[in-house]
Amino acid sequence: MLYRECSAFGKAAVMSTLQQRRALRDRTGNQGNRDDQAESSWLSARRTDLIAAKAIPIGATLALVWFATVGLVVVNSFAPFDFVPLIYMLPVVVAATQWGIVPGLVAAFGGAAAADFFFYPPLYSFRLQNAQDVIHLLLFLLVATVTSNLAARLKNEAVALRRREKEIRDLHTFSQGLAACLTSRDLIFAVQDYLSNSLGCRAVLLATRQDDLGPEAAEPVPNKIRRSATEMIAAGAPLAATIVDPDSGRGWLVRVIAPEILGYGAIAVELGHSLPGEGTGAVAQRVASLLEEAMLTLKHLKVKEAIGQATINYRTGMLRDALIGSVSHELRTPLASILGSCSVLNQIPAIRNDRQSQGLVAAIDDQAGQLDNQIRDLLDAARIGANGVQPQLTWADPTDIVSAALKLKERKLALHPVKLELAFDLPLVWVDSVLVEQALGQLLENAAKYSPVGSEIEVSGRCEQDHVVLAVKDQGFGLTADEKGQLGKRSFRSTRHLEGTSGSGLGLWIASIFVAANGGTLRAESPGLNLGTIISMLLPTGSADTPEFASAFND
Amino acid sequence: MTRVLLIDDEAPIRRFLRAGFELHGFLVIEAENAAAGLKAATMDKPDLIILDLNLPDLEGSDVLARIRSWSSVPIIVLSIQGSEQEKVRLLRLGADDYVVKPFGISELLARSDAALRRHLRSADRDPVVRAGPLLIDLVSRMVTFDGKRVQLTRKEYLLLHTLATHAGLVVTHQHLIKEIWRGPAENIQYLRVLVRKLRQKVEADPTRPRLIVSESGVGYRLDQGAAGTILSRQESSDELRCA
Repeated sequence: MLYRECSAFGKAAVMSTLQQRRALRDRTGNQGNRDDQAESSWLSARRTDLIAAKAIPIGATLALVWFATVGLVVVNSFAPFDFVPLIYMLPVVVAATQWGIVPGLVAAFGGAAAADFFFYPPLYSFRLQNAQDVIHLLLFLLVATVTSNLAARLKNEAVALRRREKEIRDLHTFSQGLAACLTSRDLIFAVQDYLSNSLGCRAVLLATRQDDLGPEAAEPVPNKIRRSATEMIAAGAPLAATIVDPDSGRGWLVRVIAPEILGYGAIAVELGHSLPGEGTGAVAQRVASLLEEAMLTLKHLKVKEAIGQATINYRTGMLRDALIGSVSHELRTPLASILGSCSVLNQIPAIRNDRQSQGLVAAIDDQAGQLDNQIRDLLDAARIGANGVQPQLTWADPTDIVSAALKLKERKLALHPVKLELAFDLPLVWVDSVLVEQALGQLLENAAKYSPVGSEIEVSGRCEQDHVVLAVKDQGFGLTADEKGQLGKRSFRSTRHLEGTSGSGLGLWIASIFVAANGGTLRAESPGLNLGTIISMLLPTGSADTPEFASAFND
Repeated sequence: MTRVLLIDDEAPIRRFLRAGFELHGFLVIEAENAAAGLKAATMDKPDLIILDLNLPDLEGSDVLARIRSWSSVPIIVLSIQGSEQEKVRLLRLGADDYVVKPFGISELLARSDAALRRHLRSADRDPVVRAGPLLIDLVSRMVTFDGKRVQLTRKEYLLLHTLATHAGLVVTHQHLIKEIWRGPAENIQYLRVLVRKLRQKVEADPTRPRLIVSESGVGYRLDQGAAGTILSRQESSDELRCA
């Protein structure tokens, strides 16, 4: 019932095809006779086709040789003609380029025989008189053989080239089709169209699960073909078989796809009533290579995942931006009115003159201020995570940076005397001053937080090679060697301070990222526990001593 | 009585602003959106406008540009953190100054005061600007520090003069560079060095500047501290005469 013609798929495939055939025959029972009849008639039709396909070119070749002979006889009757073998080269070339090497060789030997019979003495016999004639004909045969070989090869190459061109065109259309796919259903249609176009006959993908009918065109796949395909998928091994549909008398090539494409485990290619030219084995081979190509293309494009990932990325970005925007507005606006209200309360004489009320207002102010700082830290951290820091680099005076940072943390530093040691002629630095001020402010805040009330904090600035070093020195708890290594990591807080002081551990991490974004570095030193800490910030500088620069200040 | 128009969609913010301004003797008009704000700006003739940038019906910068198209009334913008370019843009559009949220009322009052004074000065042409111990006579170009005359180069004076005409208000880097070098000099390096030279002459401690204050990413401000109020204006010109 199943006709095997696919040795290309190897021994295992052949074996399982045979088993399959037996199994299917057992199961389908009395339908067998009808199927066998259909198959044998399809097969005989195919055999006739194949014989015809081979016989016609040879007949045509012999006809060509006959025409050449008649022409030569006619010409020879008027005047003796010396280039007989040359004329017999024409059928050789024509046959070889049109139909291949075998018709070419037939033309060569037919031509030699005809020349010998009609034109070389003794005439009308296959014998030869002169040794020179023997050499002539042998030379003709040699040249004709080589020529037909070359012509046939040329023809094959041209055919292969044309086919390759069509395949590339189809593949291009296929990938264009894939790009327009939005659902897996579209994808299956695209694969089907590609295979149908490339094979030149209808190809239908069959779903692994029987209840899923799959995307079918107007003409459904016959039930018998569908059933056989399901059996073959169940058998597992990659195999192909030609099955004839008894109702329509058409042959189908069914091949299992492994691994399956999006739930489709088999492909059925409609071969029609008969198949001129190519054998079914060749079709099976082409189906295999096309499927491989299609799957490779799918894999390379990863269409679905790419689309999905892009959508996810886009939505995540939108969500994060929306979250940052909404947090900064929804949380910071109420805090702004709390802090603003506190500042007004502080100015109302009744409250200013009442110590208790004043203390309460100060506490609200302080706590709300801390909350606002923490929200700002979180927002900064989220921005760093989202797209890094984009500094707006420009020339800045270190003096301004230090002043701004001190002003920023004025209240945090209220309980510490601050000593300022700035070299008078510090060079300008090439930084985003807003970011660096915030980072330096963080160093000041930490110094105030981790040192005893009333202890001095020293801010110094000096020039070191091509860097300006801004350092914050406190007389606080100091750092252990371990803490020094951990410092600047996101959310790191020393276990010694977890209970004593509040904080998210984000501040120094943000500061180190801001400094790094400006091309600078942070450096921590501590003589030891409870001996204070020095955290330095190295900022890039540049030389400004050009004649043009000096002239800018002339009056 | 000085009339101040508050344009802000957040009621709690308007409430504390009203309390703060009324405490200091202002007459407060409120508007909760741009449309009401624009209407009040025409109808109620305010002396000062406090404008929030985040309005539901129109961009704050559009409101600013519309008011500026027919009025030179002082406008202080309430901005959010971390948008220096935006601040510069608003100043260029005609805002007199900005205050970053969250802010204390005294900071806003100081800016308002400076903006009002600049507006009044252009009206009655008072030539003397005072910032702490520093006195600048804009007409005679005489600068004194603690009563002693200070010699400035032409460019140093130009810088101080520009800051003094905007006393208490921020002046953008671009504005200063344009005033001093008269060209399209976008080289902020020159300005930084000039400011440093000027600070050495007019600051008590040049490494800890109190008068010529930098506003990161935006510009400089001649800080008058608490000393400069509308009331002390007469006083300061008397003082200069004595000196």
